[in-house]
Amino acid sequence: MDGSALNAIINNLGHSQKNMGMARKYWKGLEELKETPEFIKHKENEFPTQQTVEAFLSNDKLDETSTGRRDFLKFLGFSVAAATLAACEAPVTKAVPYVVKPENVTPGVATWYASTYYDGSSYASILVKTREGRPIFIKGNRDFGFTKGAVNPQIIASILGLYDSARLTGPTVNGQQSSWVEIDKQISASLKSAKTVTLLSNTVISPTIQNQIKEMTEAMTAKGQSFSHIQYDAISYSAIRKANEENFGAAIIPSYDFSKAQTIISIGADFLGTWLLSSLYSQQYGLTRIPDSKKMSKHFQFESLMSLSGSNADYRGMIKPSEQAAVLSYLIKGLGGNCAVSSTLNTPIKSIADQALKSLKSSKQSSLVVCGSNNVSLQLLTNQLNQLAGAYGTTIDLNNYVNLYMSEDAKVIKLASDVIAGKGPDVLMFLGVNPVYSLPNGEAFGKALKKIKSTVSFAGFADETASLCSYVCPDHHALESWLDYRPTNNHYAIAQPTIRPIHNTASVIETFSVWSGKPRLGKDSSVAYDLVRSRYELLFPLGDFDYSTHNSCETLIGDLKNLTPFKNGVLGKMPSAGALEVVLYQKSAIGNGQHASNPWLQEMPDPITKATWDNYITMNPVEMTKQGFVTTYDQENGLNLATVSVNGNKVTLPVFPLPGQALNTVGIALGYGRGANGEAIGKAAFQTKEYGGYDLDDKGGLKPIGANVYRFVSTENGNLQFDTTGSLAKAEGVYAIASTQIHHTVMARHSIVRETTLPIFTSKGKEAYNPAHTLQKLNKEGHHEEVPNSEFDLWDAHPVEKIGHRWGMTVDLSSCIGCGSCLIACQSENNVPVVGKDEVRRGREMHWLRIDRYFASDEEATIGQRKDKETFSYDKAEIAAENPKVIHMPMMCHHCNHAPCETVCPVAATTHSNEGLNQMTYNRCIGTRYCANNCPYKVRRFNWFNYPSYKKFTEINPAQDDLGRMVLNPDVTVRTRGVMEKCSFCVQRIQATKLVAKTESRMINDGEFATACSDACPTSAIIVGDWNDIKSAVYSSSKNDRSYQALEEIGVKPNVWYKMKVRNEENDLLASLQVEKPVAHHEEEKGHH
Amino acid sequence: MQKEAAIREPLILGHKSYHDVTEDVCRPIEDKAPRMWYILFGIALIIALYGIGCIVYLLGTGIGVWGLNKTIGWAWDITNFVWWVGIGHAGTLISAVLLLFRQKWRMAINRSAEAMTIFAVFMAGLFPLIHMGRLWVGYWVLPLPNQFGSLWVNFNSPLLWDVFAISTYLSVSLVFWYIGLIPDFATIRDRAKKPVSKKMYSILSFGWSGRAKNWNRFETVSLVLAGLATPLVFSVHSIVSFDFATSIVPGWHTTIFPPYFVAGAVFSGFAMVQTLLLVMRKAMGLEAYIHTKHVEYMNIVIMVTGSIVGTAYITELFISWYSGVEYEAYAFLNRATGPYWWAYWSMMTCNVISPQLMWIRKLRRSLLFTFFISIVVNIGMWFERYVIIVTSIHRDYLPSAWSMHYPSHIDIGVYIGTIGIFFVFFLLFARYFPVLALNEIKTILKGSGQSYKEAPDYHKHH
Repeated sequence: MDGSALNAIINNLGHSQKNMGMARKYWKGLEELKETPEFIKHKENEFPTQQTVEAFLSNDKLDETSTGRRDFLKFLGFSVAAATLAACEAPVTKAVPYVVKPENVTPGVATWYASTYYDGSSYASILVKTREGRPIFIKGNRDFGFTKGAVNPQIIASILGLYDSARLTGPTVNGQQSSWVEIDKQISASLKSAKTVTLLSNTVISPTIQNQIKEMTEAMTAKGQSFSHIQYDAISYSAIRKANEENFGAAIIPSYDFSKAQTIISIGADFLGTWLLSSLYSQQYGLTRIPDSKKMSKHFQFESLMSLSGSNADYRGMIKPSEQAAVLSYLIKGLGGNCAVSSTLNTPIKSIADQALKSLKSSKQSSLVVCGSNNVSLQLLTNQLNQLAGAYGTTIDLNNYVNLYMSEDAKVIKLASDVIAGKGPDVLMFLGVNPVYSLPNGEAFGKALKKIKSTVSFAGFADETASLCSYVCPDHHALESWLDYRPTNNHYAIAQPTIRPIHNTASVIETFSVWSGKPRLGKDSSVAYDLVRSRYELLFPLGDFDYSTHNSCETLIGDLKNLTPFKNGVLGKMPSAGALEVVLYQKSAIGNGQHASNPWLQEMPDPITKATWDNYITMNPVEMTKQGFVTTYDQENGLNLATVSVNGNKVTLPVFPLPGQALNTVGIALGYGRGANGEAIGKAAFQTKEYGGYDLDDKGGLKPIGANVYRFVSTENGNLQFDTTGSLAKAEGVYAIASTQIHHTVMARHSIVRETTLPIFTSKGKEAYNPAHTLQKLNKEGHHEEVPNSEFDLWDAHPVEKIGHRWGMTVDLSSCIGCGSCLIACQSENNVPVVGKDEVRRGREMHWLRIDRYFASDEEATIGQRKDKETFSYDKAEIAAENPKVIHMPMMCHHCNHAPCETVCPVAATTHSNEGLNQMTYNRCIGTRYCANNCPYKVRRFNWFNYPSYKKFTEINPAQDDLGRMVLNPDVTVRTRGVMEKCSFCVQRIQATKLVAKTESRMINDGEFATACSDACPTSAIIVGDWNDIKSAVYSSSKNDRSYQALEEIGVKPNVWYKMKVRNEENDLLASLQVEKPVAHHEEEKGHH
Repeated sequence: MQKEAAIREPLILGHKSYHDVTEDVCRPIEDKAPRMWYILFGIALIIALYGIGCIVYLLGTGIGVWGLNKTIGWAWDITNFVWWVGIGHAGTLISAVLLLFRQKWRMAINRSAEAMTIFAVFMAGLFPLIHMGRLWVGYWVLPLPNQFGSLWVNFNSPLLWDVFAISTYLSVSLVFWYIGLIPDFATIRDRAKKPVSKKMYSILSFGWSGRAKNWNRFETVSLVLAGLATPLVFSVHSIVSFDFATSIVPGWHTTIFPPYFVAGAVFSGFAMVQTLLLVMRKAMGLEAYIHTKHVEYMNIVIMVTGSIVGTAYITELFISWYSGVEYEAYAFLNRATGPYWWAYWSMMTCNVISPQLMWIRKLRRSLLFTFFISIVVNIGMWFERYVIIVTSIHRDYLPSAWSMHYPSHIDIGVYIGTIGIFFVFFLLFARYFPVLALNEIKTILKGSGQSYKEAPDYHKHH
């Protein structure tokens, strides 16, 4: 448990009294009833949490001491000598204490705020950690909100955006700094004189802003002006709404519940990575992927590109986008439905589809089919299949519909063409959208913007659109302002500010209210708060706003749409086939491109390709070889370039070998090519050179990272389409790729990753699928006997066993989906430096936690298990299969009890704690790197340069500017050049937890402490705790039948256990290999418990 | 007086008198240096300065200027370290072990070989220093009393053993070398005409008077030091090999390493001695003292140690397969057939095949061929260390971390630079120090000199 939870309990005590008062008020005295100032003052001190600095200094005894003249001279002498000696070391940066300490801020103690995150695509209930008044860490709120703590890398990394030095510091008029007074005057005047006003926004889910827009519309209409509000999402899901409108009479996106699904069929929907509310879906999905209950969901994925979801699927079929309809049709017909679409499938797909049918039939009522396409006809087929499978009412809730993704594609397309034709509105406002970047005809749209009398942007950056607008009224960062959200019909959420606005920005709520005639109240204005609160009070007449704010959300029974019974829709045009089908997708880290300047996300290895800082054309290596592209890459060997043309638009990018990509298709990620004209969207958004500085193009402009493929987006029946057709031609040149993993298979090494299938797991013993490593030993009779590894030891057992704490971790490879949230959380918590593309290319990324991704080769029955020991070939094992199975394996310091790194350090800079932690003493490290060489898990990271100051990292390291440095966690040292660093199991959190327990004279409770990675994991795959506490979750998890230790046979005795992956598939070959040995085996490992 | 079989080839050719020996050795010191010396010194100095520049850049910027990465924490740095330590092996072996075995032919080469050893150990010692991330706190490897609390060095770490091994070896070698130099310095002092050099050499010669007592003590100290130095010849490289042998990295974790490293060191050390002396005897007109017979003796040592090394390579390969340890087997398979196959096969060709050619008498007595092979062996031995270090760690346990090593120009600059610094030292040595142990040579002039062996009364005497 952390400070926030503690505060939560204390505050709850206070609030629950008040909450009950909704109906009836209880009071202990007249003072409380009247709420006199004295009472309120004393009430705050009712539960003093800790002794504050003043309290300590105001200790009476301090005055009693007397210091004589001699003592004074002694002290003086000592101080001078001490100061002189101290001066010999590195310069000391002084911390200035508060002169007047702000309320609720105690130096060294974190304050947590519950809030809500929404950026137009990701949504989550979050907790924000602040230290000394600055937010430094975001995690999911597990106690409140329907997202149940699920977050994704973008949400965790968004904290960095607050401190982006490229943020606008105030309003601008035609690119020039202006004042709010001036800008309000000018815009109010143009609004007054305008005939037509259009607000183009992303999906607005804030009831307050929705109401403001409604009021503005009404006010303007009353004055004979026209005001229109168009919602536009760069990644559109409009087809789902349209399909539901046809099928059920309501244009909604329903709530999907993956946790109830026994059969999950996804047709190109990356529901674990980027599709809709993917962070929530991954959390739900994780619940169905725990084989210990002997039950698991069965996940079928039919897709063109190896997505995060596809990599986790039990069965994965490679299909072209144009084949999606046939798969759906095949399944519909298989379930006895009828549809006028061809259902011819090729053999491998057909056999998977048959398996899917079998599974659908057996798990009736608890199936879920999702489709990633934005084509209405495909969504209609999906709905029909869901209807046949009985998904409505069980896994799909039409009543608690999702309010996200309201994109009105047709209107946006029309607006864009109007603007380009010079028929745009008089005033055009942009809220949370960047159409110049994200529209297919964005460039022309951008050029045409100057034809509009007034263009207004609320963007926080002078991005592609804002830089072309006549007025920019920068909105607060989400962590600086009050906001409310209605993400689903039944859910209401509040976002509260966690820091006073850093710049001279203003909440959109206030700006809208000013333009409707209210005064502007400046930086500390409470307009947003007042409006959010009054809206809350309207929605919850009996609610307690403070209580709801504390929880960040409330349940709300919303209106039900008037749903009609399911009615088949009329099928229209399906995605057409082409010689080359191009799939435009989103990467987990970069998404739709709005976080392109976030160096954490740019440096986050893509979950599948492990490439960083780049955009590329994905192609199956089999096809690449045929077309003469190189399929291997490393530090010095780049990839060939190719040009993809779609509808006359061309981009040239490197061709990346991605096993599992359907043949004759390529994938290109959206979200790249930001800042193509050098817009100030953030210093890390551009390509940098080998020795620092930006890489400039021929004209001296900044080069964007990757290329913008929103230009490839087409429209079909008024919906933006992300699957398209085009052609590919080899281009001149080779391009360096920075990838954190250049070897892609596990070489059939069984002691690294272990995998089995659900039928084997449920029917056979542990010995069959998870045998312990044994060695031969001579027994007393002189015979050889197989005994567990643990009986052989050169060393004495480390004294952590059975005494005090022993921190341990288990990682469930079955529920780990490889999303990367843990990696970003770790980076944020532990001040892990960003090193940039060139250094990643050189294999020097600094991530303390990485996620290893292994593809199966044709030599393996499943990942890590040789098919045939006799014919096994290492050469072939290096090559991933055409459509490989994938495993994600989080890898961090294993805190080995017999740590090989510890024995080799000449200066004992890395040592073992008496709590089982492998500690790194940065101050003592002289940087021989011997420990890193001797680490079998290769998790140690060396500071090759001084990342916080060396010029090479100025452009990409947030710690190199004053604002960016504020994100650093003060509990964790920023490491200097030449020292080794690595995962510490978040030792700062362990210590803090121990301290709380100690002041309360109790033991640490299980679950009270969590590492950043475990905290961030949406599927709860990572469990940490005290292994010496045999009642702890981590202990029982480590004793699970699936638990094993990676590289057990080398005897380093790690404190990390993995739980082997169980795939819910039939694998006869594996079943014949994973059998119990006929010989009788040694009894259960003679462990320490 | 040494008694020697008549059929043995004389160790000193030509009809040299005692005075001739003095003249031959002192001439380069007393004469003006030839132009060639200045040219060579200039080249060496430029390379050395470039290397120092690279080192300064490295220390100023960070270890990142080298081509290392998260997987490959050591590459050229430790390769060069081990290579130089290996080269530094021949000197002490020649002076100490051959002294104990009374191999008189050592007298022609021991002085230069010892000088080479000391300079090579300097170069070797440089690498562990500059490879540290924080050189400025490098003194923490010494078990110095400190006020940091109970901080002490980690006696489990082979790197710490290295510190002791290398520093002991360097100091003993230095003392041994210097003791040998004292009578020769005295000779130069006695002949010096210029006051400055007279003063200098008189300080260097520690007041040597050439009395029997002096010689007696000289012999005793030499013998004692030889006794001390002999185990060091074996310990230094054994301990260097522990850096690898005690680790858990497949390909490093090998019990065969200590003997194999020592043999390899002697192998490369003798090759370097050959390279240097074959040039030096020509340049300084010492053909009478260092001739085919000496070269042949050294070639035999190269052949024997090369065969030991070759046997070790093949044993290692066999055991990796025989052990049945997956990682071990793959490490060696990868060496031979993986991305660094060219390094492995360069090593095999240079170190296993080339010394076997020395079985042919004609070849081992050919100076030109010997010179060529000595270079080949040193290249091979560099590759041996590179293969052991880089190809083992570039693909160890987890394939996700597998990587490749590409040297940066700073890597190359520092390495070439140390060769430059080495030659600066060696050329200064050749110019100002007696390159032959002239007083020791004189002790065998009568027993092994050509003129004595050919003297008409020689056979009568013995």
